[in-house]
This record gives sequence, structure tokens and C-alpha cells, in this order.
Amino acid sequence: MTTSPTTSRTGSTSTTTTSSARTTPPTGGGLVRDDERATGQSLWLVVAGREMLVKLTDKNFIISTAVTLAFLAGSLGLQALIGGGSNKITIAVAGPQSRQVIEQVGRNAEQRDQPMQLTITDSPDAAAVTAAVRGKSVEVGLVHEGDAWRLVGLSTPATGLTASVREAVQHQVLGANAAAAGTTVDVLTRGSTVDVAALDPNDDPGLRYAVGFIFAFLFYLASLLFGMTIASSVVEEKQSRVVEILVTAIPLRQLLLGKVAGNTLLALAQMVVFVGVGLIGLSFSSYSSFLPAIASASGWFLIFFIAGFVALACLWAVAGSLATRNEDLQSTTPALTTILVVAMMVGLVGEGAVRTVGSYIPVISTVAMPMRLFTGDAAWWEPIVSLLITLVFAAFAVVVGERLYARSVLQTQRRMTIREAMRAGD
Amino acid sequence: MLETRGLTRTFGETRAVTDVDLTVPTGSMTGFVGGNGAGKTTTMRMIMGILAPTAGDVLWQGRPVTAAERARFGYMPEERGLYPKQPVLRQLVYLGRLHGLTAAGAKRTALEHLERFGLADRSDVKLETLSLGNQQRVQIAAAVMAQPIALILDEPFSGLDPKAVDAMADLLREHAARGVPVLFSSHQLDLVERLCDHLVVLAKGTVVAHGSVDELRHRGRLLHRLVVDGDAGWVRDIDGVSVLDVDGGTAVLELVAHDASDRILREALRRGSVRELSALVPTLSDIYREVTA
Repeated sequence: MTTSPTTSRTGSTSTTTTSSARTTPPTGGGLVRDDERATGQSLWLVVAGREMLVKLTDKNFIISTAVTLAFLAGSLGLQALIGGGSNKITIAVAGPQSRQVIEQVGRNAEQRDQPMQLTITDSPDAAAVTAAVRGKSVEVGLVHEGDAWRLVGLSTPATGLTASVREAVQHQVLGANAAAAGTTVDVLTRGSTVDVAALDPNDDPGLRYAVGFIFAFLFYLASLLFGMTIASSVVEEKQSRVVEILVTAIPLRQLLLGKVAGNTLLALAQMVVFVGVGLIGLSFSSYSSFLPAIASASGWFLIFFIAGFVALACLWAVAGSLATRNEDLQSTTPALTTILVVAMMVGLVGEGAVRTVGSYIPVISTVAMPMRLFTGDAAWWEPIVSLLITLVFAAFAVVVGERLYARSVLQTQRRMTIREAMRAGD
Repeated sequence: MLETRGLTRTFGETRAVTDVDLTVPTGSMTGFVGGNGAGKTTTMRMIMGILAPTAGDVLWQGRPVTAAERARFGYMPEERGLYPKQPVLRQLVYLGRLHGLTAAGAKRTALEHLERFGLADRSDVKLETLSLGNQQRVQIAAAVMAQPIALILDEPFSGLDPKAVDAMADLLREHAARGVPVLFSSHQLDLVERLCDHLVVLAKGTVVAHGSVDELRHRGRLLHRLVVDGDAGWVRDIDGVSVLDVDGGTAVLELVAHDASDRILREALRRGSVRELSALVPTLSDIYREVTA
């Protein structure tokens, strides 16, 4: 009596019947076997693994890394080429005296620990020497006519070479004149020795600037690249709302930890490759004598880099979580990029007290402290104290960052300010 | 069984959800209906732990739900969310692993679901290159692939074509059949009527109706319709019958006395032919309009 033709419960039943007859697999087709359930797996490792996989399969990342490596290797190679080129000279001489002078140049250079590779060609006369230089079969030629010596080049010969030749000529002439006067060069030059004592052998201003520039540049590049990666990774999940699914499966802390760990590891790996290539390149250059000092500074640089990067990593995540779209990152990241620029500038141009103070300020110390270690004006305990300060700061930043991230990452309506995130409950 | 007790959420001064008690029995499909802004999404987000309740609890098997249990709930947010620029299979495997599957297990079930949705050959393309309907299918796969212990789906049918709606309905029934409580919200009342065993109606943040669909249909007074040849005005004189409306040969009436139907039929047959005497069971739309009015 109470059954109406308009009721659709029957409709529902009939649909069920037809559904089991459809081609779709029967119930249980999608069941998960027990051995397919992971027990005790650390979810943050899964997140870290994904972060790295995404980055390593990202064409832009691969290209930018390759370009930086090429740039690094190229500039070192160029430097080695230029450095090597200046020590390699082909020279034409006329007469045994000229040959002796050039051989003396070689001996003097060796004594100074700056060996020159001299290729000497004997020519019959001055005209032949000039012709050889003009014909570019040699770079320079030395001619001895009467009392005059002439160093011939297509253009004015390098001042270093000119000075060396002048010195050798004087030495030889002095020896001959001394013998004629019945004395020796040693007697004549007694008490005139000037020794060079390098109190700080690493204090080569050019090299110091180069090392500082490379540290600062690498630090800025990697921090910005991987910091922005963390921020975009967070905002991508927020913008696409996938974060709502993620937080139901995994605690926010593990999600954040995974992102930070994955990107820190990648940043470190990239940095180790860059520094490694740099050191190998250096060992082939004329600066190879600085290798131990630079290698040690580089080691400290890597340690400080990890600490400094981790300290900022959670804040990059916050910058991402405050945004709702990728475009918003332009307004949520400037504070962090400013910190990076300051750290780079202090490391690069900071001198004296500025650099000393900077070497104790977290993040800024990443460049400043290794630089002080390289130039030898930091005591052994200073990097340790500075590192501890950075670690304390990093721990603080991680805790604050995690809290702000948790408060803002699920606010998908609009961009938040840091103040709002601080005030927001959960 | 999934329950909420006194679930309440305020945003500033606004009360979005007030004192919501609802039950999703084991193995049942429960429809969650209500107008825009009624508080469905807020309630579901609280069930999933995305939003902390201002007051109240979410219970799983009678006890407050733990994070580990929640991690095994399957969830489909109202605003769809996956990684648009990542390959389909890779992100399903990732989500499966976050839901506690091994890499191999996640890959197998992900492929199985893609196969089922006819997307097996698209598993390596970026999600954003799929049509919206297919993206929706991937989203569904993400929610169910790890064999969830409960399913919370916010508007799972929106944006699907009729064929996909049927496939989705089959899938949900399969999960309900293996004992999983399924709660889904929808604006399509006909669909809810077709699929659901239970219904929760939300209006202005409070539950206004709750129960099995049959219970809800029959909870009001039961009306009948009588259609006879000629004028039906005479029914007003029958004892035990309360007449609501007479229009020519058609009358809508409530049978108050137990034997009223017998008396009506006897009198009607004495006067001529009876075309129809049937119960007027309200449709879900009728119930919905009534409870949310």
C-alpha cells in the first residue's frame, strides 16, 4: 500500500545489479595486499625523495647547473691558460753571450720558484734574430752588438721579461768587469742582498678577492635557487590544494622536514661539485701553492653553508606558505633575498671590523667566516663559536618557521602577512 | 563507524557549523546535502583534521579518531588538488606512499586504478594535459587507491559526465560493500537519492534531518492520492479521512483511521471506477525543501 511507483529505491537496487554485471572488476579488485603496506617508513624521507626527484628531472635545474659548472671550469681553464702562457717564451739569440744571458734568466726564475719555460733558438746574426721575431717563429729575440744589448719584440716585450733579461745582462757584465778589475761579483755586491720575507703568504689581494667572490657567488646562487625551490614547492601544493590531501596523510612537521632535507641535500651536493671542480681547477693553475689554504677554507665554507641554509630553509617555506599563488612569492620573499644579498656583500667587500662582526652573525657568517679563515685572521675557536651561534639560530628558525608554516599553509583564500600568520590560531 | 559529536566551528564572529552530530554507519553510503554555505565542507574538513573544531569530537569506532586512523581515510577535497605539472603515475605513487603503501604496492594499485579509468596509456603525461573529467578520475584514484578505511568525498560527482558518474558510483559502492563508511556531499539530489542509504541534511550549519532515506521519507504524515471517474468531493464525508485537496476526480487525503482505505474503496466502487489509490511518498527534493524551508 505504501509503495509508490515514484519511489526510486528500486531504481537504486537495479543499478546495483547492473553494476556488478559491468566490465569493471569485482569488489576487491583494487585491494592492497599486506606486503604492500610499508611498516615504520619515515614519511619525511618519502617527501625528501620526491623533492629531489622533481628537481633532478627538472630541465631548468639541470641546464643551470651545467652552465654554472661550465662557467667555473671555463674561467679556471682560461686562468690556467693565461698563467701558463706568460711563463712560456720562445726566444731567438745571436751569439754565445746572448745564450748565456737567457740561460741565466731561466736559472734566476727557478731560484725564485717561478720557473719559466724558455725555448732558445740560435740565430747567426742580429738580422736573423729580427727576421725570426718579425716572422713570428719566436716571440722575442736578444741581440748583442758592441756594448749594447737589445731585446726585440713585435711590440714592447713584457716588463717582467725585460726586467729579468736586464738583471741577467747586468749580472753577466758585472762578472766580466769584476774579473777584469781583479775582483769577483760577490765582493762587489757584498752587503747588498735584499731578501723577500712574506709574513702572510696567503695575502695575495687578487686571489683573496677571487676566493671571496666565488664563495659569495656560490652561496648566493645556491641559497637563492634552493630557497626559491622550497618556497615554490610549498606554494605549488597550496595553490593546487594538494596540501589538503597531504596533511590528511602526513603530519605537517614531516612534510616540512622532508622539503628542507631534500633541498638541503641537493644544495649541498651541488655545492660540493662546484667546490670540487674549483679546487681541481686551482691545482692546475699557478695558484696551486694556495691549494691547502683554499681547500681548508672551502671545507669550512661547506659546513657553514649547510648550517646557514637550514637556518633559512624553514623561513623560505614560510614565504611560500604565506603566498597563495606563485606570483605572490615576489612579495613574500624579498626579506630573505635581502639577507642573502647582505651576506654576499659583507663576504665580498666587508673588511676589518665589518667582516669580523659579520662572521658571527648567522647566514652572513657563511661567507664571512671562511674568508677570515682563508686570510688567516681568525683563531681556531672562532669558527666553532660562530657555527654554534648559527646552529642555535637555525633551531630557533626551524621552530618558528614550522609554526608559521602550519598556520598559513591551509589558508588558501588570500595572501597572508607574516603578522597575520603570527596571530592566527590553527 | 564514523561519527561526529557536537562538532562546532566558528570563524571569528561567524558560526560556520554548530553542534553537528552525524553518523556514517559501517558499509553505508551516506549523502551529505545542504545549500551553498550550509557548512558541509567545513564539517568534512574537520572530520579530516584539516580544520580544528572549536568544539566537539570526531569518533572512529566509538573513540576519538587518531592521526594514524585519519591517515587511512580517503579524502577528496572540494577544490581538487594534485600536482598539475607532475606526471600522473608518479604523483599517485607518491600519495600512495604517503598513505602507507610501499613503492611497489603504490605503483601496482595506482596502475590498476588508471587501467580501470581507461587512463593507463596516459600514466606518464603531466596531469594538466588531461581533460578536466580525466583529472577528476585521477583525483578519485588518489582518494581510494590505498584502500581507505573510510571515504570522505566533497562533491565527488561534480564535473563528471553521466558515464563517469556511473563508474564513480560503482566504485563507491564497492568500497561501501567491503564495509567502508562513505560520506559524500552533493548538490545532485536525484543522485543522492539513487545512491544513498543514509542522508544528512545541513542548513545554516546545523543538522536539520538525519537518518536512513526510508525513515526520512516516512517520518511526516503519509498522504494518499485517489483518482476516480467523476467528482471526488464525496470523500469529505467518509469517516477517518482528512481531505487536503479535491480537484475534479483527484483528491489528496490522509488516512487517519486504520480501515479508512477500505471504506473509501467500497464507496468509490459503488459510485463508479477507481483509477488510482496510491501512497504519496515524498521525493528527496520534497524532503529537502521541507526541512530546509
